[in-house]
Amino acid sequence: MTHIMELTHAYQWFTVIWWLLIGLFVVLYIILDGADLGSGIFSLFHPNSDERGAIMASMAGTWDANETWLVVAGGAIFGTFPLAYGSLFHYLMIPLMVVLWGIILRAVSLEFHHHSSSSRRIWDWGFGIGSLVTAFSAGVALGAFLQGFPITDGQVPTFQGGVMDFLSPFSLWTGVTAVIAAALAGGIYLRARFERDSSIYAQAMAWTDAMFYLALVAILGTVTWSFFKFPWAQARWLGPEWWMFMLAGAVVLFATWSMRRASHHQQDISAMLWLGVIVFINFGAMMATLYPWFVPGTLTLFDAANPSNSLTAFSYSMLGFIPVMLSYNFYQAWVFRARLHRLAAYESH
Amino acid sequence: MTDPTLMVDMARLDFAWITTMHILYPPLTIGLAVFLFFTELRWLKTRDEDWYRLTRFFEKLFIINFGAGVATGVTMEMAFGILFGPFSQAAGPFFGNILGYETITAFMYEAGFIGLMIFGWGKISPKMHLFATFNVAFAAILSAFWILVANSWMQTPTGVHLDKGLFLVDDWTAAIFNPNALTGFPHMLVASFEIGLFFVAGVSAWMVYKNRHGTLFLRSLTASLMALVIVAPLQITIGDSLGRSVAQHDPAALAAMEGHWHTYLPDGSPNTRWNVVAWPDAAQGTNTFQIGIPHVLSLLEDHQWTSVVPGLDQFAPADRPPVLVPFYSFRIMVAAGFALFFIAFWALILKLRGQFSVAGLQQRPWFLRLVVLSALLPFIAIWTGWWTREVARQPWLVHGLMRTSEGVSQMSIPAEIVWFVGFLFFDLVVWAGTWYFFSKVVRKGPDLDAPLSQAYPPDRLGSLPTPDSTAERPPFIRPSA
Ligand code: HDD
Ligand code: HEM
Ligand code: HEM
Repeated sequence: MTHIMELTHAYQWFTVIWWLLIGLFVVLYIILDGADLGSGIFSLFHPNSDERGAIMASMAGTWDANETWLVVAGGAIFGTFPLAYGSLFHYLMIPLMVVLWGIILRAVSLEFHHHSSSSRRIWDWGFGIGSLVTAFSAGVALGAFLQGFPITDGQVPTFQGGVMDFLSPFSLWTGVTAVIAAALAGGIYLRARFERDSSIYAQAMAWTDAMFYLALVAILGTVTWSFFKFPWAQARWLGPEWWMFMLAGAVVLFATWSMRRASHHQQDISAMLWLGVIVFINFGAMMATLYPWFVPGTLTLFDAANPSNSLTAFSYSMLGFIPVMLSYNFYQAWVFRARLHRLAAYESH
Repeated sequence: MTDPTLMVDMARLDFAWITTMHILYPPLTIGLAVFLFFTELRWLKTRDEDWYRLTRFFEKLFIINFGAGVATGVTMEMAFGILFGPFSQAAGPFFGNILGYETITAFMYEAGFIGLMIFGWGKISPKMHLFATFNVAFAAILSAFWILVANSWMQTPTGVHLDKGLFLVDDWTAAIFNPNALTGFPHMLVASFEIGLFFVAGVSAWMVYKNRHGTLFLRSLTASLMALVIVAPLQITIGDSLGRSVAQHDPAALAAMEGHWHTYLPDGSPNTRWNVVAWPDAAQGTNTFQIGIPHVLSLLEDHQWTSVVPGLDQFAPADRPPVLVPFYSFRIMVAAGFALFFIAFWALILKLRGQFSVAGLQQRPWFLRLVVLSALLPFIAIWTGWWTREVARQPWLVHGLMRTSEGVSQMSIPAEIVWFVGFLFFDLVVWAGTWYFFSKVVRKGPDLDAPLSQAYPPDRLGSLPTPDSTAERPPFIRPSA
């Protein structure tokens, strides 16, 4: 592997920058699409077809852009860490495949639902089940990612193992955690999107309370399990930078408390923002724990990075687009920020 | 236990199926987005309500198609790494960059404006809306550009060298503007225009045929068919250049497309026969039977009466592509191209003779029926064109540098079958749903009563009318089912 390192050595800065950016894309995906997926999960427990339609309508203008962060993350991994892309994605074949099926199902359900009449219930369920399946498998993929995978020692290290290697109690657990976390995010999102006197708002309130406690258990469980399971995590958390993680933990606790308070006072937008902060810091802490591993125990950033001048070319041509990308996404979300009070919302376009 | 050939072939089949089902949608997205931009522009310029109604109507079809395109496209992004991991790693320095460029400059760009385009009516000013439509069309074209660059580079991999198992880029310009991309991208782009225009023409002809809003749809019918008078022959011309580019850069692929086995005839003169039909026999290295016309092959490839066109006998059997699929796919595409050209010219003649009115066309139901059916032909041409291209590149994944068998992930056959069955099911559901809802929207017809979104006050950028705080909030109405 050393000879490949020689090729990437000169570009270490770009490597780190892109690793951080990919982290940003992934966390944006989790925050934005997590809320959409969670609303889908919520809709599974919501019998009224028109109101399910209203939930879909609430994300009509933005779900595509939210989902596209995943595509952007995938494309950027291919562009900047091709050695990880070609091995990690092969290792994660089954969970990713199921994520894709879920995404297909959800996307067509969203599009077809409001054109349908007799088949409406099918698309209702498609939307809910697609969301649930996507959240679960994405969570499984994240857990499997943390476990790492065996690779060959050839010049270009490729995945060496079976397609079922991803499956373990831990990865199933992270799948469940992802569903619960998405469900929480969905409840909070729906409260911010519907008028306070609507019935969805009232139900989302009860839902959020329940999910909050479940999420607390699930996330603490994941952190504890990781601590005992992954020596690299233990070493980092107990190592010289322990105070950083303490600090992050403290901020997360504060944010959780603020989120709850905002929730109680019906400050729905701030509750949503606090949740974003929590996810962001948690994810950041995970990345800080991982460094310098790209895939823990398997590939470091520098093993996986794009060699030679490619990374420089990618950086010079693409870095400038990122603020632009963020700004038109923000603009689009801004245009559609109004709360919904009409069920007819979807029809009115 | 695992059979390596079967493993490679299954991976190829897995990939072929998802791309085949994806390519149904993006070209129509591009073609319709460009069409919608023009109708919307027309409306803003003339303030003629008809153009507004047409825009809103075709936009509905556009949305359905777009959703299907995204649903099938997200798969593609991941599929390279899953099915062709070693290829993704080796080609990553170039290929990965290009796909990364695509996601950042095109997909996100498109996604960032699509919501505004579809749901922004009345929420943003008409000019801002037109701008959103423009951006969607432009971003879709950009994504076609990048993906064609990536694929063309697999056909003519210039500007790179192999080092330690990786393709390192020496010259970005040479790699991006590789010889095949220069004609491949225009051919794809014009194919997208052609598919969009024929789709519009087909739907409009159906409406005129059924005498529903005849005068309204006569406008879109005339506009699309007249544009096709230019687009259809242009596509044939570009196709011819593309064929000559293939002849020059990948003679084995060309020989396969033409079922051309023998460079020289038994008498020693160059074999210039162009086969119309043939049945190849790879084991014997010849055709079991063939019907052909002499001189046409060299006319097509070199624009000369007699010239030497290398046959498959110039290549080692291990380097020969399969013949059957490229041969017939290519012929179907070309036939479709000429059929479309013929229909566009028939329309031109009718127009010049002044018969292009609702009554005039309804007296020619055959013409209208033909136009409706012709909406399917570009889809077939695009499929067969891609099959030609991809199969004729075999056995290479990156032409001359990496074989398909070297680039494939070492997967178990059951896993590959699960993949295939799963995507067979999901992609067929998407396809069936898309056409079902297309027909539903067409049956419902355009909405002629909704108020023009023009009536909304032109807003500041991105502002929403602030709810009047004194007015009573409209209650949340739960409509009775
Ligand atoms: C509306 C669609 C359409 C139509 C009418 C045509 N084509 Fe085409 N053709 C395509 C759509 C297409 C395509 C699907 O877009 C391809 C596949 C890859 C590409 O770049 O374009 C293609 C590929 C393709 C190739 C293969 C290139 C390669 O292997 O790299 C050749 C030689 C031609 N075309 C030539 C023609 C000719 C001579 C046509 C005229 C009758 C024609 N095409 C009509
Ligand atoms: C969208 C239209 C496309 C269609 C219909 C299509 C079709 C196919 C088919 C039929 C195969 C199998 C060929 C064989 O193995 O005999 C294939 C393979 C492949 N295609 Fe495409 N393709 C399309 C676009 C692309 C593009 C744009 C790219 C790259 C950016 C691409 C990359 C590949 C790769 C990597 C393989 C697998 C290796 C191989 O078999 O050569 N394809 N495709
Ligand atoms: C010639 C072949 C192809 C062309 C012209 C093309 C073009 C496009 C276009 C214009 C879109 C926008 C959405 C839509 O049109 O409905 C799209 C969607 C997509 N395509 Fe393709 N594509 C091709 C093949 C591929 C391949 C081989 C990949 C694999 C990387 C791919 C990946 C995607 C993805 C990920 C999306 C969804 C993006 C989104 O969320 O908007 N496409 N494609």
